[in-house]
Amino acid sequence: MSNVILFNLTTVLFGVASGLYLGALYAKNEKISVFGTWVCALAAVVSTAALGVRWYESYQMGIGRIPVTNLYESLVFFAWSVNLFYLVVERKYRNRTFGGFVMPIAFFTMVFAVYNDSSIQPLVPALQSYWLHAHVITCFVGYAAFAVSAGVALMYLLKARQEEAKISEGVVGLLPACKMLDDLVYRAIIWGFPFLTAGIITGAAWANYAWGTYWSWDPKETWSLIVWLVYAAFLHARVTRGWHGKRAAILSLVGFLATIMCYLGVNLVLSGLHSYGGG
Amino acid sequence: MADEKRTLSPMDRVWNFFISVKLAILTLIVLAATSILGTIIEQNQPPEKYHKIYEDWAFALLDRLNLFDMYHSAWFLLMLVLFTVNLFCCTIDRFPKMLKVVRNPRTKLDENLEKTLSLTDRWKKKGNLPEWAGKYAEALSASFAKPKVTEVDGQVHLYAETGVASRFGVYVTHLSIIIIFIGAILGNVLGFKGYVNIPEGEMISKVPVRGGILMQDLGFTVRCNAFSLETYPSGQPKAYKSDLSVIEGGREVARKTIVVNDPLQHKGIWFYQSSYGQAGGATAQVTVSRKDGTPMGALALAANEPVPIDGYGIVRGVNYEQNFQGIGPALQVVVEKPGQPAASFWLVQGRPDLDRQRTDSLVFSFGGLSSKMFTGLQVAKDPGVNIVWLGCALMVIGLIMAFFLSHQRVWVRLAQGTDGRVEVILAGSASRNRLAFEKRFEKLQTGVKAAGQ
Repeated sequence: MSNVILFNLTTVLFGVASGLYLGALYAKNEKISVFGTWVCALAAVVSTAALGVRWYESYQMGIGRIPVTNLYESLVFFAWSVNLFYLVVERKYRNRTFGGFVMPIAFFTMVFAVYNDSSIQPLVPALQSYWLHAHVITCFVGYAAFAVSAGVALMYLLKARQEEAKISEGVVGLLPACKMLDDLVYRAIIWGFPFLTAGIITGAAWANYAWGTYWSWDPKETWSLIVWLVYAAFLHARVTRGWHGKRAAILSLVGFLATIMCYLGVNLVLSGLHSYGGG
Repeated sequence: MADEKRTLSPMDRVWNFFISVKLAILTLIVLAATSILGTIIEQNQPPEKYHKIYEDWAFALLDRLNLFDMYHSAWFLLMLVLFTVNLFCCTIDRFPKMLKVVRNPRTKLDENLEKTLSLTDRWKKKGNLPEWAGKYAEALSASFAKPKVTEVDGQVHLYAETGVASRFGVYVTHLSIIIIFIGAILGNVLGFKGYVNIPEGEMISKVPVRGGILMQDLGFTVRCNAFSLETYPSGQPKAYKSDLSVIEGGREVARKTIVVNDPLQHKGIWFYQSSYGQAGGATAQVTVSRKDGTPMGALALAANEPVPIDGYGIVRGVNYEQNFQGIGPALQVVVEKPGQPAASFWLVQGRPDLDRQRTDSLVFSFGGLSSKMFTGLQVAKDPGVNIVWLGCALMVIGLIMAFFLSHQRVWVRLAQGTDGRVEVILAGSASRNRLAFEKRFEKLQTGVKAAGQ
């Protein structure tokens, strides 16, 4: 399977990029993180190619289908989304220190993926639908945005503690100003939230077309609602009650924990319609 | 503050409670937290299953709290009602105020307003005031939006805005939630959901609903002509197919082969492929012919069930072997003719020649076992579903309006200065994404300043 080789290469690249970004922070050397960006960009190309090859190979096997239908594929797709979302953020904010906090999320996701079955299996009848594409893509863009927000929230908490103590030395001293981090925590969520909403809606539309029920309080559905409610609370607290800084950062982290539970926990711990984790 | 609170009437206090964002955040968090319970405790399982998992006291407690069907419990629904009332009251409270602000924008840049704006710039120009006012209005129209011109006390105010829609985003989103709830309630009240098994060749016109308490009349008949299961070469299921016919007044009015993700719809009632199975035991297919080879017909023998043949006797299939004496699949039949002892013999599949050796008036040929299947269908009617989709579409639109549009406002004030020159003040504000607006404002600054030069 050449796609798996490419995904393994992606894993290595994500690891190298994470190392470079963290190394740059540790050595306080901006130049090192420039290499990180190049490695990320290369990883984006390689992983996109890997997804394409996997898609093509599924057609070669006579079971052609989009490569986002089991745990392995969803993990690599999630890592792919995080990497791309990160590159956009890095470019827009012209700051490479985020990399040390966001790229490890992509790296560990890939490491986790490597331990899962990477074979291409045919689609069970329930998944044979065009809704699959819209549903998975919207959900994962949302998840990726929440991952970036959580990574930045962590940076914020570190930075805020230092600013309180009025120190500007050490690794943390290189991080962007609190104000910028705080803004990015929020900004990533306002991208993630509409995508999550669209993901839940496309999931409901699909369920209705497959089973005649758009909402059945299945654990996956319920957890997606929990994630939605947490971020809705975040947005209300932020916009109307002026929740900034530490409280907002903590709420972003809580939201991401709920996202991980929704994405992985439900499949690995609970049972339901999305039980791709079992197989 | 304390005095103010004391003077509030109880009605006002109740109202203030319902319009507070604090309540909204609290309900969101409490809904999220309690929803977790229903994902840990499996919902709607038979009591025996719960008794296996929980001690008696725990079972009693969980049952008391309705945690075995929590999403339909009174307390959870009450929270949803509270959530909706809060949403509704917030809208009633804030929407008119917002509308008023949007309809009557502050078109004059007075000193109070100026103090609240972070983006301002001022300069002086030689020349006459109306002329500059005209030039700046043109410049704003070209690069921002057509300004509204107000003249007061010899001063000229220009006011221009874009992205007013962003102010409505939050209301569209909130309205969408209420619409979705209305759709859901309509679906629950006016619609039904049921599940039915139809064996191949049989038909139904009623479906058990509400856990089998009620039979819902469909108003037409549905027949399952055939069910088939396709597999991948690896043996994994590829497709479940049910060939369904809709029959009205004895006539077939519609026919469709449904699969998972491709249902049949008739008169607002949907039929979804949901399950399948074997309907009863297998039947043995036996064709009968006369000794001279004239075909007589076919029999479908269910296990041990007697089938009479006129002028001959009663035939029963009593046994089946996958590999009878190494020849292949075979069926053991018993024939009872009037006034004769019962005869038992084996029919090997696809070997009528062997049965000929039995020298009887009829020759049997065993065509193999066939098991009749049934298809399991979800049947649903939901007249509220399109309202739900309308709400969903509005929600996405509302979120985009709220998060990705920004209400941007720009003011210009021109006044005659004491030195004979025209004093100009440019100011701006944005409802969100101020960083992006700062850049736009900078461009606007240079553009407006350059106007007429």
